[in-house]
Amino acid sequence: MGSQLTNKSLSIFPKSWSEKNAGRIPGNIPIWVGILSELTEFGIFFAAYFIAKFYYPEVFSQGPQQLNTSLGVINTIVLLSSSYFMAKAMSYIRLDNRIKCERYLWLSFSCGALYLIIKTWEFYWNNLQGLSTSSSEFFTVYYYMTFNHFLHVGWASCAILWVIFRLRNGAYSAKENSGLEALAVYWHMIDLMWILIFPLLYVLR
Amino acid sequence: MKRIGKLEYLLLALISITLGNTFLGEQFASTILVSVIITITVIYKGFVVIDHFMELKGAHKNLRLLMRLYFTLFPSLILISAFY
Repeated sequence: MGSQLTNKSLSIFPKSWSEKNAGRIPGNIPIWVGILSELTEFGIFFAAYFIAKFYYPEVFSQGPQQLNTSLGVINTIVLLSSSYFMAKAMSYIRLDNRIKCERYLWLSFSCGALYLIIKTWEFYWNNLQGLSTSSSEFFTVYYYMTFNHFLHVGWASCAILWVIFRLRNGAYSAKENSGLEALAVYWHMIDLMWILIFPLLYVLR
Repeated sequence: MKRIGKLEYLLLALISITLGNTFLGEQFASTILVSVIITITVIYKGFVVIDHFMELKGAHKNLRLLMRLYFTLFPSLILISAFY
């Protein structure tokens, strides 16, 4: 079973997709199946956003002006920083420097936690302004998209804690770090989704 | 003194673009020009994360192509939506 999971030449892929022909797969195949599924899910959200904007251009022009843009900007910077810390953690495990790797993982986790706190504050602030999922079509899409992204940051932050636990138990080294790398690419995917969500919901008028 | 590496420069670039885009959105209505600038910068930000943070540059070429296609397709819809 274990060997099947780590097998990087699954027969469902054409030969041209093998690591030998196309290049190294960061992390492992299961995490990329997960990432591509998540991208499909967010792709549906983005399609819903553009379809709704087509039918309700006025509502989508006014919606972002009611949001707290500063909180959106801060959260973007927090997530970009978390991706940077994750990339640093990867670079240090490749040097077999577990102490610095763990330090950067904690920084990444802190950014994830900070994002969740700021987002919760933003939802609370919206609530004080009388904004909810049924306020307008824009806010239906806004809550659908941001709450889903919130959940992704939440469980990926828990995954960072798990990886820190495994790192402390000596599971990762310069030679074997595919589990840590799998988390890293997943975390970057979450950051990528926010890079697209931010201008759609906070910037475009 | 610690040397500032490529990742640090890229992070600064990503943060600067975010702040620049926010300024554009706050100060100007979503004209075609603003939409073009935002589309290009969002694609650039995505490519930076895909190539340098996810480290797909030099890794599996089909995964990189898929990710880059995704991050070209959806930001491009920003530009199309400017004509609504």
